[in-house]
Amino acid sequence: MNPKQKSKLGRILPTILIGTSAAFIFLAAAHGQTTNSADAAPVKIPADDASGSAAGSATVASTEAAEIETLKKEIQTLDQKVQKLEQQREVEQPAVAESNQEQIQELDQKVRILERRRELDKEAADAAAKTQPKLTLGQNGFSFGSADSNFIASLHGVIQADSRSFINDGGGTAGKNTFLLRRARPIFTGTVFHDFDFNFTPDFGGSGVVIYDAFLNYRFNSALQVEGGRFKSPVGLESLQTDAWTAFNERSLATGLVPNRDIGFELHGDLFAGSVSYAAGIFNGAPDYSTPTAPAQDVDDNKAFAGRLFFQPWKATSIVPLQGLGFGVGGSYESDRGTAADLTSGYKTDGQQNFFTYAGTVANGVHWRISPQGYYYYGPFSLLGEYVISDQRVTAGAVSANLRNTAWEVTAGWVLTGEDATYNGVTPRHPFDPRAGDWGAWQVVARYADLNIDNAAFPTFATAGSASEAKAWSAGVNWYLNRDIRIDASFSRTTFEGGGGTAGLGPITRQPENTIFTRVQVAF
Amino acid sequence: MKTFLKILLASSLVVTAGAKEIKLLNVSYDPTRELYQEYNAAFVKHWKARTGDDVVVSQSHGGSGKQAQSVINGLEADVVTLALAYDIDAISQKADLLPAGWQKRLPDNSTPYTSTIVFLVRKGNPKHIQDWDDVVKPGVSVVTPNPKTSGGARWAYLAAYAYALEKNGHDEAKARDFVKRLYKNVPVLDSGARGSTVTFAQRGIGDVLLAWENEAHLALKEFGADKFEIVAPSLSILAEPPVAVVDKVDKRHGTLAVAQAYLEYLYSDEGQEIAAENFYRPRNQAIAEKYAANFSRLKLVTLDQEFGSWTKAQATHFADGGVFDQIYQP
Repeated sequence: MNPKQKSKLGRILPTILIGTSAAFIFLAAAHGQTTNSADAAPVKIPADDASGSAAGSATVASTEAAEIETLKKEIQTLDQKVQKLEQQREVEQPAVAESNQEQIQELDQKVRILERRRELDKEAADAAAKTQPKLTLGQNGFSFGSADSNFIASLHGVIQADSRSFINDGGGTAGKNTFLLRRARPIFTGTVFHDFDFNFTPDFGGSGVVIYDAFLNYRFNSALQVEGGRFKSPVGLESLQTDAWTAFNERSLATGLVPNRDIGFELHGDLFAGSVSYAAGIFNGAPDYSTPTAPAQDVDDNKAFAGRLFFQPWKATSIVPLQGLGFGVGGSYESDRGTAADLTSGYKTDGQQNFFTYAGTVANGVHWRISPQGYYYYGPFSLLGEYVISDQRVTAGAVSANLRNTAWEVTAGWVLTGEDATYNGVTPRHPFDPRAGDWGAWQVVARYADLNIDNAAFPTFATAGSASEAKAWSAGVNWYLNRDIRIDASFSRTTFEGGGGTAGLGPITRQPENTIFTRVQVAF
Repeated sequence: MKTFLKILLASSLVVTAGAKEIKLLNVSYDPTRELYQEYNAAFVKHWKARTGDDVVVSQSHGGSGKQAQSVINGLEADVVTLALAYDIDAISQKADLLPAGWQKRLPDNSTPYTSTIVFLVRKGNPKHIQDWDDVVKPGVSVVTPNPKTSGGARWAYLAAYAYALEKNGHDEAKARDFVKRLYKNVPVLDSGARGSTVTFAQRGIGDVLLAWENEAHLALKEFGADKFEIVAPSLSILAEPPVAVVDKVDKRHGTLAVAQAYLEYLYSDEGQEIAAENFYRPRNQAIAEKYAANFSRLKLVTLDQEFGSWTKAQATHFADGGVFDQIYQP
């Protein structure tokens, strides 16, 4: 017997049993009335009921039989109903099961379709992303580029809001206490087709807009690059340091003898994992640290050659204390032909006052420079120094001479909060957030510099009041709130000797210059 | 003898020194991967034997329309082997990379093989799909790529439309309604034919795949004849996928001669055999008869017969705002 049949029987059987039991109960009750009379106390039938009893028994028996018959019919009817219900159920069950199966399949298809659509949408999104330009914004500025990286442009900037306060100037110094926007430069850089870098940097800080940098650099690889346009001449170490990361507000007296920016072409690169850097270029020629408002085109046919070789022998080694040691030499050579434009507009103090200017003099002959230089960075400690010789033939009227001006400087620093000092500034480990108890990085800096004008410059070639030597010492504190914001405060004292031209030292040079500098800088 | 050996050595050195490596890029439509894998090996061998030069053929595959756009946008294809002439015309018109009369340069309108659209159904054909009328019934799920990007999808659409035209006495309204009902049954639109095969065969979606004939056979081969079966409708369209050299790119690369030879070799006996083995209907009649068992027998109508030209068909049905855009609601 299969389970279905067993189940059916299990449902029918109680019904049958109930029906049958009911029948038996009635039958037993009827029989008991007739059969149990022997056990029961004899029932005295009245004499005149004896014939009536026999007829009565027959009536009772027929009634019982009818009742039994009725019960049987009822049982039969019940049984038929049960059977019918069982049959209906057998028919409905597979239909329900089939319907459920169809629903499951339908749902399965829907899920698969949704998954496949999601897959295709993702493929389409990935394909679209490859053609979408990329945009980034962070502490290094704003940059956007094409999906294939063939065109990348970035916007950086430097804003320096300074104050200069001249103290104890004895009423003779021409220095004016002032707030000034020392630099306000948007710096547009970029790379096209992976190998061509460009830079365009105007400055809005002065009285007019000046283009500081405008150049294109082709990178064949890191060891071989060609740069052309207007950019910093590769001579002075402090001069080459990015404006945002110099130790003090103004560069030292030594930088006064090296060229600033010039227009030309340069071959440069890094060799041996950056252990050796070289640069060699041909330029129009620039006077000693002229402002960028030097002539936009050459004043004569002669060109200047400038170059630099710098070594960092332990840069790529595991000798950590020596990794930050670098030394080298820079130099330039040109031949000028009788122009004042090839001479410096004046050698300046830290407070940016001229302490020496040429008088009625033109550059007229060979001008060469040489600058041995070096730095050392180890942990929070920094040391930078250079020595510069600027030898230039000059003429004033009928008199000519070779003037050899020299300068040197040493700058030291210590990051009190322990971060590493580098040629490219300090990055605070804990950017300024007073709510979290973080105060950025703090650095103390000190510098000594000396610039010596050739005595042969006096009196013929120097203006009245010019000094023949300036010595400056400076000390300061730099607070790096984060990588982009810096606040500086420093003091500089410059003393002057000798010179005087035809009338002795002048208003600027007859007493020391004492200057307090402050700066708030944003650089990104 | 010594002299002979010296000459032989010198010749081999000259040949070796003169032998060069030529690179070709074949930009093709989606389902031709297997065909060109086999064909490229054969052509490389043939070219080496003929000239001594090495040819390296790279392939790019995707929906025919998308591939054409990629070439227009700068993909440096030496040859294009696309699903329909219209896509190569677009390259000619929009990018001026090959002349307008490109199709006349090779036999049979530059179509070395043909194909058609058939139905791939689940084994046992549970939805009893025999013809196009069954495909448009409610409750039948149809897989086919997007006609905007896929050449195969455009052929499939046109095959269905052609069937409806033939059945309804060229009543355009009824044909339009027919394809509307068809695309109502499409749950997923892949960008190319290969994607649709993945959807149907690997993802298990749909009751029927409107497939390139070769793609249907490939599915049987790859996934097993115990999982799917091919049903040939009563009528389908003769699909003529053309091939062309991309003149301006070839001149820039210096590959014109090799590119031309590459396409011409498709018409050779070996090329035609390879096409037939990969379930493309060869133009060579003798080879077509040899492989007749590979192909379904069905009535084939041509595009020109039913729609005039690809330009008209594209403008009417697949351009922005065309019939497909009107009838298909995602």
